[in-house]
Amino acid sequence: MPVDTKRVRGPEVSQSPSLFLCKTAANKSFTQKDARVDGRQRGQVDVRSVFVRCGLISQAKGSAYIEAGNTKLICCVYGPREMERKDETDMKSGRLMTDMRFAPFSCRERGSWIQGSDEKDLSLMLLESLRPGVCLHKYPRSQIEVNVMVLENDGSVLAHAVTCASMALADAGIEMYDLVLGCSIRQESATYLIDPTYLEENGCNLASGSGDNFGSLTVAFLPSLNQISGLQSDGEMGEDILTGGVRTCIEGCFKLYPVIQQALTKAVRRKAPPSEN
Amino acid sequence: MATVQVSEAEKVYILHGVRDDLRVDGRGCEDYRHMEIETDVVSNTDGSAKVSLGHTDVLVGVKAEIGKPRPMVPHEGYLEFFVDCSANATPEFEGRGGDELGVELSNTLYKVFNNRSSIDLKSLCISPGEHCWVLYVDVLLLQCDGNLFDAISVAIKAALFNTKIPKVHLSENEEGGKEIELSDDPYDCMRLNVENVPCIVTLCKVGYRHVVDATLQEKACSVASLIISVTHKGTITCVRKVGGGSLDPESIFETTETGKRVGKALHAPLMELLQKEENLGKKRPKVGFLG
Repeated sequence: MPVDTKRVRGPEVSQSPSLFLCKTAANKSFTQKDARVDGRQRGQVDVRSVFVRCGLISQAKGSAYIEAGNTKLICCVYGPREMERKDETDMKSGRLMTDMRFAPFSCRERGSWIQGSDEKDLSLMLLESLRPGVCLHKYPRSQIEVNVMVLENDGSVLAHAVTCASMALADAGIEMYDLVLGCSIRQESATYLIDPTYLEENGCNLASGSGDNFGSLTVAFLPSLNQISGLQSDGEMGEDILTGGVRTCIEGCFKLYPVIQQALTKAVRRKAPPSEN
Repeated sequence: MATVQVSEAEKVYILHGVRDDLRVDGRGCEDYRHMEIETDVVSNTDGSAKVSLGHTDVLVGVKAEIGKPRPMVPHEGYLEFFVDCSANATPEFEGRGGDELGVELSNTLYKVFNNRSSIDLKSLCISPGEHCWVLYVDVLLLQCDGNLFDAISVAIKAALFNTKIPKVHLSENEEGGKEIELSDDPYDCMRLNVENVPCIVTLCKVGYRHVVDATLQEKACSVASLIISVTHKGTITCVRKVGGGSLDPESIFETTETGKRVGKALHAPLMELLQKEENLGKKRPKVGFLG
């Protein structure tokens, strides 16, 4: 077998240099200072300001783009499309299919295009969060596809994906009971960090996180109906801390609501034909 | 998940019963079905357990292998979970049908164990940065009758309790490299402390109340369930809402409280039972798969 003698190949197992960087960065104390790295406060409902736009992608029925700090996501909605008849249950209501992917350059380390189990899990959570909000009984025998692509991951990706997806669904004209908004929180012993960045989400694992109440929580919420459509937490928390965290996330969702509504009305106005006066 | 067709009249019957704290098989809303646990059923593993909860059968095998620790945490070993939905369980799992459910279950297990106190990962370290114990926890679903998460988590706790990891020592060989030596005595092994391993409680919302350990019929009447994983101290390590419906925040708070209470109460009798079984030693009657 011909051997390539012209190139000097590196070792088979290669690691990103950022892994070695993190060891020194972890020594920097994540102590209980009042200000977070980007100037927001701990222990207060201080979500990052959001930039949203609808209707960017001409081929899709509906689309939306969201930017919160450095987290950037784009979502497209296709449908309602005809579905091959699989079983009886689909005759009465439509089906929602979600797919969430990370671009390989979105995280600190290069990811792959093949969908990993993390992405499958996030897609499933996205589906469960969106399903209660969409009037699927109005679209029998059809399927609605929602595709979310994360362009840059700087924390609370699932929460913003839920918000982005529900905006794209509204932009596509799919009938919904209410917008679904997402908010996430990182609990750190006594205080919480709402809408954490990537470093805040992951850096705490390296710090001496023994003791109680270190964890993260993501909530998907329908504001006008006051219903929680998605809830996910990990780490370890006491029950009252968890309850407090859910309430805080609900507050965060209420803060986002007017911004999202405004963006949607602007998009609708832009799409509507100019009135003849 | 295996589904069952339930007629509207049956749904109403189940809903009315649950409202009055009486389920179809006579249990209360917070009662589990009859559970049978047996450890050390598979001799090729380092630890194994089989749990039957009603008609749900789960078999867990734990194998310990020596591997390289993760780059970010060189002083710790780790656990790998894999859930296989066997085609024996229901015909829906034939071929690749069970993969989706298996992935969902494995991902939830990773979240449940994703904290510092469930398992002492530092005790799995052999040589920092070079060698560590990796525990491969493989779950096999033999029969599916609802409430998979609970059965799986109890089986994992029992299997980890039963796990015997051989003791190793590091020695230097002639060239100065490190060599790992296994001790000659097959009974010289390290056991894991499973006090803090959480147990999962699944609560299905049926009507206005929530039920623990729902059967397939009850699951067909509910739109949403909450999965809560609780340690023996009452700390919650993972909460997840599954299903296509939405829940009221107040209902979630109530459900979390119930889940915490039920989960906490599950640990003490379980540990007692496991200790008793262990103490029986060779005199233990083996039931295996035919009992």
